[in-house]
Amino acid sequence: MRITGHHPLWRIAAAVLGGYAFTWGFIALGMAGAFALGMSFHDAEHLTAIIGFLIYLVLFLWAFAARSLARVWAVTAGGALVMAGAASLIQHQLT
Amino acid sequence: MFQSFRLSMAWLHTWFGLTLGFVLMVVFFFGALSVFDREIDRWAVPQSRFEPQPIPSFDKILRPVFEQMQPTQEAIAEMAPRVNGPMPETYPVIERMGAYTTHRDPVLNLFIGFDVPNAKDPEEAIWAYRTIDPRNGASLPDDRLKIGSEFFYPLHYSLNLHWRDIGTWIVGSAALVMLAALVSGVVMHRKIFREFFTFRPGKTSQRSVLDLHNLTGVVALPFHFFFALTGLVIFAGIYFPVGHTQLDPLHEMSERLEAAETGLPHDRAGVAAPLASVDAMVADAQRRWHEKGMAGEVGFLTLQHVGDANGYVSVYRAGTDRIALTGEGIHYKAATGELLREDPAPGFVDNLNEFLTGLHLQHFRHWLLRWLYVLGGLTGCVCIATGFIFFVEKRKRQHAKQGIQGARLVDALAVTTVTGMVLAALGMLIANKLLPDSLPAGWPPRGDLEQYAFWGSWLLAFIHALARSGPVAAGRLSPAWAEQCRAIAVLAPLAVLLNWIITGDHLLRTLSALYWPVAGLDLCLLASAGVALLAAAKLKRRALAAPAIDTAKREAAHA
Repeated sequence: MRITGHHPLWRIAAAVLGGYAFTWGFIALGMAGAFALGMSFHDAEHLTAIIGFLIYLVLFLWAFAARSLARVWAVTAGGALVMAGAASLIQHQLT
Repeated sequence: MFQSFRLSMAWLHTWFGLTLGFVLMVVFFFGALSVFDREIDRWAVPQSRFEPQPIPSFDKILRPVFEQMQPTQEAIAEMAPRVNGPMPETYPVIERMGAYTTHRDPVLNLFIGFDVPNAKDPEEAIWAYRTIDPRNGASLPDDRLKIGSEFFYPLHYSLNLHWRDIGTWIVGSAALVMLAALVSGVVMHRKIFREFFTFRPGKTSQRSVLDLHNLTGVVALPFHFFFALTGLVIFAGIYFPVGHTQLDPLHEMSERLEAAETGLPHDRAGVAAPLASVDAMVADAQRRWHEKGMAGEVGFLTLQHVGDANGYVSVYRAGTDRIALTGEGIHYKAATGELLREDPAPGFVDNLNEFLTGLHLQHFRHWLLRWLYVLGGLTGCVCIATGFIFFVEKRKRQHAKQGIQGARLVDALAVTTVTGMVLAALGMLIANKLLPDSLPAGWPPRGDLEQYAFWGSWLLAFIHALARSGPVAAGRLSPAWAEQCRAIAVLAPLAVLLNWIITGDHLLRTLSALYWPVAGLDLCLLASAGVALLAAAKLKRRALAAPAIDTAKREAAHA
């Protein structure tokens, strides 16, 4: 089978990897941000994890439902980079 | 790729459900068994068949046991790759030790972590474990596998594949797919309300299987969704180790801030110090809980930085009367017994997190809810199993015509994960009773042999399912289903019989003594045998009826 741009594998990769990266970024930014705003580190960790898994689920479904796969990649990978970067910046400021 | 939202969800549901459904079967079935993991332990380890005990005196019973504990050769070999140079000859510095129990544990679990100065991760300790009879401090033979809490329970969340947590990752992906399958399943069926009441057992097997799939999926939807989500949350630290990787510096900083704020030292002082009476600290903690009107059994007791001036003792309450886990920790200075800190009441996030994870892990005392969990878990198994059967029923005639082996393979895997999994568990319980009390020299540990029996039985069930799957390729029913049901009907009562012969605890005795841990498992084994017999009889009727329908159809088509 030839793997073209329309092959389901690309959708699966976007759902699994793109969704994971975005969720990582969300959790990192949420933890650093909430900690900066005065929440305890472990509280921030738990809260962002609970919300993070729901976000992962939505992205996972969206990756299959979305018309444009490029948009899915742009949002998940782009969002992941921006949020993870922002988290590291906040950490740099605090430590 | 897809023409509509519903089609994309249907594709997702079918293919992800199929591939990770096999993992989900294991997770749901052994999750249901784990609800009674401690009771299965009692069945498997006859030496532990006595009433649950509170944590005994630390000074008189626990301290002498801790003083004898050393890491095993296996633990030393296992850690060797994670140190610089060779492993130390001796382990003089104890970083942490403690005891953990629940209201269902007659025996007590002890753990101890020794400092490894040349570990690559300076925080990593080497651990040793022991199980004792809390009434006298006697150790249980350490080759006794607690089949419920040490095999079935970790199988539920890690498939017992521990290399780089690979099993936990597979289970985590399955949990995410479970959530996705629930949402996509709802999207696929617009008449969700009607599914609640629709079950047409008289219709074609394909239609009634789908009815049952929808019914079990919809009725227990909140249960399935909640458990898949909270399961992920419990292991969030493994799936998203943000605090130990990207945000590790922030984590370290917060821990030092916290240590300064709570007065509980983060590091050793490097100055040796004696240990005051821990019993006095426990008595003080119980008095403080009592003043707040809370049940005062200790669930968890730990000593940190043992033998050091910075050492402290933490006493936690057993959470038998609430959903959240152990809590209301009270901390004392180990050298003097002076009160260091009482944990404040948990905040909103702590409450939320402990509620979610506590409801999944259920350390509380509520037998009815415990049984509802078993029922929910088995409902999940029915939902997944009927999903497999629907997949096969929908395609097997088509595949038979085209000469594709897909439906045949899926059917064999379905047999392996439905009846085969039960056979694997039975094989393990039977091995547990057949193996002699003390094994000849040179044999692997008893617990290892029991695990081989589990995996070996499962492998045999898979080979049998595959070998007997031929008829599926011709569009008919695999005889493996009925045959494995009959095997369950023989092996389950055999396990009950062996328990009687080897331990003398037959049902009349355990029932009249109201000793539910053993009586309950025996009764469940007999009930499984009954269900398996019914299923085998039903499958036989269907197999006899099916060719007739096929021929009738073919004749009608020819006419």
